[in-house]
Amino acid sequence: MKNNSNLSIILKGILLENPVFVLILGTCPTLATTKTVIGAVGMGIAATAVLICSNIVISLLRKVIPDSVRIPCYIVVIASFVTIVEMVIHAYVPIIYDLLGVYLPLITVNCIILGRAEMFANKNNIAKSALDGLGMGLGFCVALILMATVREVIGVGSFAGISIPFLENYTVKFFQEAPGGFLVYGVLIALVFKITHGKAPYKKEFSCDSCPSAAFCNKAHCQEAKEEI
Amino acid sequence: MKNNIKSVISLTAICIVTSILLAFTNNLTAPIIAKQEAAAVNDALTVVLPNGEDFQSVDITKYTLPSTITEAYSEKNGGYVFKMETTGYDVGFVILCGIDKDGVVKGATSISSKETLGYEKSYGDELKDKTLGDIDTVATVAGATKTTAAYKSAIKDALNSFVILNGGTADLRSEEEILADNLNTALPEANGEFEIVLILEEINGIDTIYKSVKNNGFVFVIGEEFIGTDSDGNILTETSETNKTIIENARQTLLKWADSQIDLTKLTDMPTSVEAAYKADNGNYTLILHAAGYGINGGDKYHPASGEPIVIKVTASKDGKIITCKTLEQNETANIGSACADESFYSQFNGKTENDYTEIDAISGATLTTDGYKNAIGDVFTAIKILKGVS
Repeated sequence: MKNNSNLSIILKGILLENPVFVLILGTCPTLATTKTVIGAVGMGIAATAVLICSNIVISLLRKVIPDSVRIPCYIVVIASFVTIVEMVIHAYVPIIYDLLGVYLPLITVNCIILGRAEMFANKNNIAKSALDGLGMGLGFCVALILMATVREVIGVGSFAGISIPFLENYTVKFFQEAPGGFLVYGVLIALVFKITHGKAPYKKEFSCDSCPSAAFCNKAHCQEAKEEI
Repeated sequence: MKNNIKSVISLTAICIVTSILLAFTNNLTAPIIAKQEAAAVNDALTVVLPNGEDFQSVDITKYTLPSTITEAYSEKNGGYVFKMETTGYDVGFVILCGIDKDGVVKGATSISSKETLGYEKSYGDELKDKTLGDIDTVATVAGATKTTAAYKSAIKDALNSFVILNGGTADLRSEEEILADNLNTALPEANGEFEIVLILEEINGIDTIYKSVKNNGFVFVIGEEFIGTDSDGNILTETSETNKTIIENARQTLLKWADSQIDLTKLTDMPTSVEAAYKADNGNYTLILHAAGYGINGGDKYHPASGEPIVIKVTASKDGKIITCKTLEQNETANIGSACADESFYSQFNGKTENDYTEIDAISGATLTTDGYKNAIGDVFTAIKILKGVS
């Protein structure tokens, strides 16, 4: 049973609570780094590493950190991990470093990470938080790779930099640009909604809790939503 | 209060711990990153110096190099790569140039520019395999003179820097500065104020003549030599006997021309294109005309030679027939209007009169140059009528 629940923590991140397609978090890096599959994989792995580490540390410190300064504390922890990941990638995988550019340091403000810190890690134990980080990270990876595949195959006629015969002569550049990204994003969200219909959590079930400002926000419906949970 | 203190302490503690972690990671990765960046620079430099190995940055502040040089790298075999920032059509034109141990340009590429026509991408190939000695043989590209001239000049700076870095000395003066220095050495009393003398008659053996603005002092250029003469005709610079004879003859010719010059200041109805007029003993007139070519007539279009006239010398008989016509100077568009300096064009006017001077073949693609030229020739006939009336 315990194994089951642990597994379900990981699995829900991939589909039912997919951070990109269901929770609609991390939209900016999603659109920015899905031009190429290699970039998407790099971004996914980097974000997953940061997510797991920050979830573990935040879960570890959840009883030490006073409530009033928890957001700054989370940001310091996340930023540090991002910087560490950035330095490691720069040193060992410079291709990915060049490919991700400014979006790598911007993982710091990726709302998936802060969102999961607020939503999950500060309420659960280390093991569960780590699994949640892994699940969410995998979900993010899957989403990025899926989008990048569509955009790169149609937009450039290649997959992970390898040219696909025939298709490379009939590319639609539109998919490489931002509007194409939005289009693919929208279609995939619709698709995931169709597949998980009735099972995915409704927005109000997570909206306030995932919001870092929920504690200071007095909107009535948010409060209600909070109480329901 | 207690809570506040706790908040401060925990946040501070987290910051300290993470700082230590960051310092530790940086310590591990910094040398690897530095090595990688050096390798990346190495790869980039190999583009312009294919056989280069083990590039090292050179501290250029230790040397007096041309101001365009921003970075320099030496390599194991004695070659250098220079990075230059110059101004072509626009500022921020950055060029990378590799020079091998023998001082030969092995590659040049523009790495950042705001030039408009794209010549900066290909012009570097034309400068390949050139040395300081023969780089001037490469022509600039018509229509992209600013870009290509700046490119060539930057590569020349790199070649000069190569000489300096190898312990030699290089002449970093610009062409204008060299000319000014040479003229001053030849005739110090002119205080650097010279005007160029148009050679009205073929004077054998002399390339260019400069006249002091103040008096009749001259500087004659024969090959590499700059020979000055004062207003009394004394030759101030040491030179060969042959040159002395040439110069004396030339001086006499110049003075004779000066004597035969007609004062135009009182002739108010003289066409403005006529700059100078001379009357020979046989009654023929020689006129110096300034024709408005593309640079002036095509004024609404950008042209580097804006405002530069075409200088024409015409000798005509007193009854209004052109004997000889020659273009002395022009700054029209290269390969188009510049054809007005070709003998095949200007010799068409020989033997023409007021009635048929327009019946000549125009320069293809250069209507404005041709029209400007013809207008000036037309003024010759008016001018001769006026001059005849006076004398």
